[in-house]
Amino acid sequence: MARLNSIPELKHLREIIQEDMADSRPRIVVCAGTACQASASSDIIRVAKRYLLEKQLLDKIKLRITGCHGFCEAGPFILTEPMKAFYHRVGLADVPRIIETTLEGKLVEELLYADAVTGERYRCQDDIPFFKFQQRTIFGRNQKVDPMRIYDYLATGGYKALEKTLLAMTPREVIEEVKASGLRGRGGAGFPTGRKWELLAGQPGDRGKYLVCNADEGDPGAYMDRSLLEGSPHSIIEGMLIGAYATGATHGVVYVRNEYPLAIKHLIIALRQARDLGLLGESILGSKFSFDIEIVKGAGAFVCGEETALMRSVEGKIGEPRQRPPFPVEKGINGRPTAINNVETWANVPIIIERGAAEYAKIGTRGNSGTKVFSLVGKIRNTGLVEVPMGMPIRDIVHKIGGGPSGKAAIKAVQTGGPSGGCVPYWKFDLPIDYDSLSEAGTMMGSGGMIVMDENTCMVDVAKYFMNFLKDESCGKCFTCRKGTQRMHEILDDISKGKALMEQLDLLGELAYVVKDTTMCGLGQTASNPALSTIRYFRREYQRHIFDKRCDAFVCKELVGAPCQSACPIGTEAWRYTAHLAKGEYQLAYNVIREQNPFPSVCARVCDHKCESRCKLGTTGSRPLAIRALKRFITERIDPMSYKPQRQRHEGPPERVAVVGSGPGGLTAAHYLSLMGYHVTVYEADAEPGGMLVAGVPKYRLPRDVVRKEIEALIDDNITVKCNSALGRDITIDGLFAEGNKAVFLALGAHRSRRLGIEQEDAKGCYPAMPFLRAFNLKGEKLAKGRVGVIGGGNSAIDAARVALRQEGVESVTILYRRSRQEMPAFPAEIEAALQEGVKLEELVTPTKVQVKDGQVCGVTFIRNRLGEVDQSGRRSFVPIPDSERGVTLDTLIVAIGEQILEFNPAGSEGLEYSKQGTLIADPDTLATARPGVFAGGDVITGPNTVVDAIAAGKKAAVMIHRFLRGEELRQPAERNVPRVYVEPRMLSPDEQEEARRAEPPLLSLRDRRSGFDEVEKALTQEAAAREAQRCLRCDLEFTQPKAAARPAAPGGDPSTRSQVPASA
Amino acid sequence: MNIQTIENIVNKHQQQQGSLIAILSEIQATYSYLPTDALQAVSKMTGKSLIDIYGVATFYKYFSLQPRGKHLCSVCVGTACHVRGGEVIAEEFEGQLGVAAGQTTPDREFTLGKVACLGACALGPVAVVDGHYFSSVKKTDVKKILERARDGLDKVEVKTDQRIFPIDVSCPRCNHSLMDASHLVDGHPSIKVTTSFERTHGWVRLSCLWGSYTVESQPEIPLDTVVHFFCPHCHAELVTATSCADCGAGMVPMIVRQGGVIQICSRRGCKGHMLDLV
Repeated sequence: MARLNSIPELKHLREIIQEDMADSRPRIVVCAGTACQASASSDIIRVAKRYLLEKQLLDKIKLRITGCHGFCEAGPFILTEPMKAFYHRVGLADVPRIIETTLEGKLVEELLYADAVTGERYRCQDDIPFFKFQQRTIFGRNQKVDPMRIYDYLATGGYKALEKTLLAMTPREVIEEVKASGLRGRGGAGFPTGRKWELLAGQPGDRGKYLVCNADEGDPGAYMDRSLLEGSPHSIIEGMLIGAYATGATHGVVYVRNEYPLAIKHLIIALRQARDLGLLGESILGSKFSFDIEIVKGAGAFVCGEETALMRSVEGKIGEPRQRPPFPVEKGINGRPTAINNVETWANVPIIIERGAAEYAKIGTRGNSGTKVFSLVGKIRNTGLVEVPMGMPIRDIVHKIGGGPSGKAAIKAVQTGGPSGGCVPYWKFDLPIDYDSLSEAGTMMGSGGMIVMDENTCMVDVAKYFMNFLKDESCGKCFTCRKGTQRMHEILDDISKGKALMEQLDLLGELAYVVKDTTMCGLGQTASNPALSTIRYFRREYQRHIFDKRCDAFVCKELVGAPCQSACPIGTEAWRYTAHLAKGEYQLAYNVIREQNPFPSVCARVCDHKCESRCKLGTTGSRPLAIRALKRFITERIDPMSYKPQRQRHEGPPERVAVVGSGPGGLTAAHYLSLMGYHVTVYEADAEPGGMLVAGVPKYRLPRDVVRKEIEALIDDNITVKCNSALGRDITIDGLFAEGNKAVFLALGAHRSRRLGIEQEDAKGCYPAMPFLRAFNLKGEKLAKGRVGVIGGGNSAIDAARVALRQEGVESVTILYRRSRQEMPAFPAEIEAALQEGVKLEELVTPTKVQVKDGQVCGVTFIRNRLGEVDQSGRRSFVPIPDSERGVTLDTLIVAIGEQILEFNPAGSEGLEYSKQGTLIADPDTLATARPGVFAGGDVITGPNTVVDAIAAGKKAAVMIHRFLRGEELRQPAERNVPRVYVEPRMLSPDEQEEARRAEPPLLSLRDRRSGFDEVEKALTQEAAAREAQRCLRCDLEFTQPKAAARPAAPGGDPSTRSQVPASA
Repeated sequence: MNIQTIENIVNKHQQQQGSLIAILSEIQATYSYLPTDALQAVSKMTGKSLIDIYGVATFYKYFSLQPRGKHLCSVCVGTACHVRGGEVIAEEFEGQLGVAAGQTTPDREFTLGKVACLGACALGPVAVVDGHYFSSVKKTDVKKILERARDGLDKVEVKTDQRIFPIDVSCPRCNHSLMDASHLVDGHPSIKVTTSFERTHGWVRLSCLWGSYTVESQPEIPLDTVVHFFCPHCHAELVTATSCADCGAGMVPMIVRQGGVIQICSRRGCKGHMLDLV
């Protein structure tokens, strides 16, 4: 590399390189950024090189190794040029195929990037939503250059801005240009860069001036500076050269984290190449302008991102901030005037000069010009680095580019600005992303971390996390920062453990403002932000921790205890009965279940097992324990009559309570009231008790003898069941009180189906789902004939479809759903079972009209939909496609689009209030309705819900009615619901654990399923159940294990032996 | 600790910006920690008070006053990793190793650290072991990662690994082949060049497998020695202006017959190399 002595020589060199590179050979591009290297992209590169050499293909195809492209989640990937095909998650075996097909000018279709949800494949990188909605002004260069080759940078127009500066601009003009561009510091605070330069230029330069590139990216969750340095180091060098020319700076320093070895390596190479070419050092390009840059490595201290601390660190001292003024531009490194800008700011400079300030300022919004790179990470599908024009709404970044949530949990907030920033809640996602809007929302831009949080992220824990970080990183110079962050952390820690009172939350707020007001540097002044912003937007979560001792995100360990137990609405100790089962103690296991749940056999079949979705096996890489199947195994073996519940002695004459509705909620309340000594009358509208268990749930899921046996075991001398007694028809609330009942519990269920609201839906052959199911379940009427259509995507739609399929005279059953299968609210296992049995699913259709012939349904007209934006429910919405209407021939139409309560405002039952959705209004905490003495729970207040939630409501109602009748406050004291009983573990060894697969219960054959109503799911075998039970990780042991037997904490102890630790101690 | 080594390090960085941190960094890199006598020596050589040096050594997280293990594990607990369960992974590392974060196992094999951000946030939870990044780490992966680290993460099976393959090289000056079919290394013809270092002359035979670092030499070359390489045919020194990105020593170029140029670092023991296909 010969040194260039003039600008024409540089131009000439660039022309030669460009000519040299402009050939028609296709090219494959592989990212070797740190993230892709973590996904083994270096192996891809090696295999590609091997193939190219062995097949002698170098004159036909070229290979470029680049820095980060941003789409880190998709790595390792191969991009081809000129077609721009984007192959993601490439395996070593794919490489030869990709090379060969690229040579032929073709695509390997099956390896092209496909949308994870829609499955749509994209043939060109630019069409992939992740890239399409970005504006990659500075980051786009990364895929065009090999960071280790200055010639690549030159060929893409590199150092043209420097050329322009030296050739045609005075330093003053450069500063004016940067000022006019509106560029603000990308490190987070947003100070105008041009203004900073102007101040530096105005300082006397006789002893030299410093320019610093701040690459101490300590902000956890952000890594764009790393990727810029790794991927395009010359952009930074060029930016600094222009800055030096404008300000008269003589020394350049890049202060970079030691944790970024690849960035340091690429920067060393780039600096050397620039020096060799005469672009850096003395007399740059033969001019009088001299400037050189050296690298200073940070040694790991977050506070060194603060400018005065950084300067001291550059001087080789302890990185403590100092008071300003004097500002760094007056007195900086070694006492010389110094200006510090962030990596991304420097990368913007050449673009401003090359395009011109006016053109640059068109990007973004007024006062917030240009683009900003964000590290979009956390609970989001497409993680990576994204560059967008400022002012883009957060919603667009999260959904259009990020592709929405990574799992099923809904997104609830993004955190920006790192430890100095705060959270923006989901309902504020229309906020445009720029310095000013973010700071108004109580957070800040920061260096650009954007951490997406979903329902499984606890905001108290997030605040605690940041405070823990800050208390460690506080340099200790200011007392209020040093002690304040410690104290705030202690309070947050107490809250997360359920030990705090509301007063402490107020104290936290107060302390936050003290720390903010009385500390010297940015670290302390912003240290309170994470706490303040989470309190501001998520106060409810703090209250849940403090009052209810609950962490709804299942993060705060001390409150969660064993996740299975915490997740269960009735607090079933799943870990405990599993432990007994593992040891063969079936009766003990049954007692544990029965203590919390009067309907073990029912729940063993139809529970939606919230416990399993929280099981630690499932959340740490394996599949969750089959808890429901284990419960089923136990209930198969133990007779419900064998359990004798404990009864409380009731003082005084027994009081009477009426329960309306004999579903799981009503009977549960009756049962527990009876145990407390009350005399309960249960009124049932139908001919048989059981409510939805009998009228709604199909027999193939829940055989009727199981329900009857369980109900029989519950009804004792204190309980009277009166069937055929409907509220409003046979009984009234006024009447129930008049008969001497002291309280009434309404547990009516939701037995009426919602209507479609389209033409002719009352025609013959058209049934709402509930009447259809009730007709069959209660009277054995088979209403479905011929071709059956079911509209809806919830559980009752699936139930109706599967029941219809089993009825004689049915040819086919098709479910018509307006969104796609992913968005269906029905339990996934039920959907799968229905499809297996032969039910067809027509997605993305909305019925517009029922076709009728001679008063009988003969079909339905529907319009096609496509998936739209994500709506408030966190699901993709549907958008009708114009002119896509078409008809389908049907003989029976079942409408299953939701249920309502049975009777709206029944006579003689005044004083109740109803919501717009048709549900009864009751306080969710106390279940009290507007009428004193009347309580309500279950579907009647929530809308259609699960059996276990109804049982939970029944249990709560019993407690509340008891308190009401004793004149006590209607409140259930919150207690931490953590494991307390020690059961000696019998678990799989770590090796067995690795091998073990989740036990799946055997199913009835498909043929038998179609032709009858026999129960589909069978019980596990003894062997399978025992092994599955031993798969449990026993999260309870952390809380229950006797101290002496607890795992050794001493070094060298192998915790994997903890399952074998004898419990004798 | 060798006083000469410390002196060399001090002299190397003395003129540099912020020399103290650079000096301590290199001592740490050499000994894996900062030995007390080394700090005392630095104090004497630079004239800085020991308390100032101690202050810097304890302020920055990179420095350790305790000897560290053979393998360094850093578990990321940055925000992005935290929300994806990085803490659980850190606990699993602690459990598997039987030490708390910041400590070294009694057998001095592993030092465990928690880092607030390793800068690979898109792939969290992330752990870095001996410079190797592990992404989307699951609890069940931890044991395997540690086992692999014990075996050596750089270890490759030259015979079966498809990433490793032979290349055929020649002198960039005279274009004469450097391959020696009469002497096999790794079961393939070796690359033979003549060498000199510290006024000793000899030869080196390199494995021609790209990805294998097997070397035979006569005489034995001590680790970290920078060696001059010569073509055995035209006797020209094989050298470029490029220096190794890993260690800064000069690079040695050779023409690859199949196309391209390979450069290897001239320092014994350094694995720096570049295969350029242009």
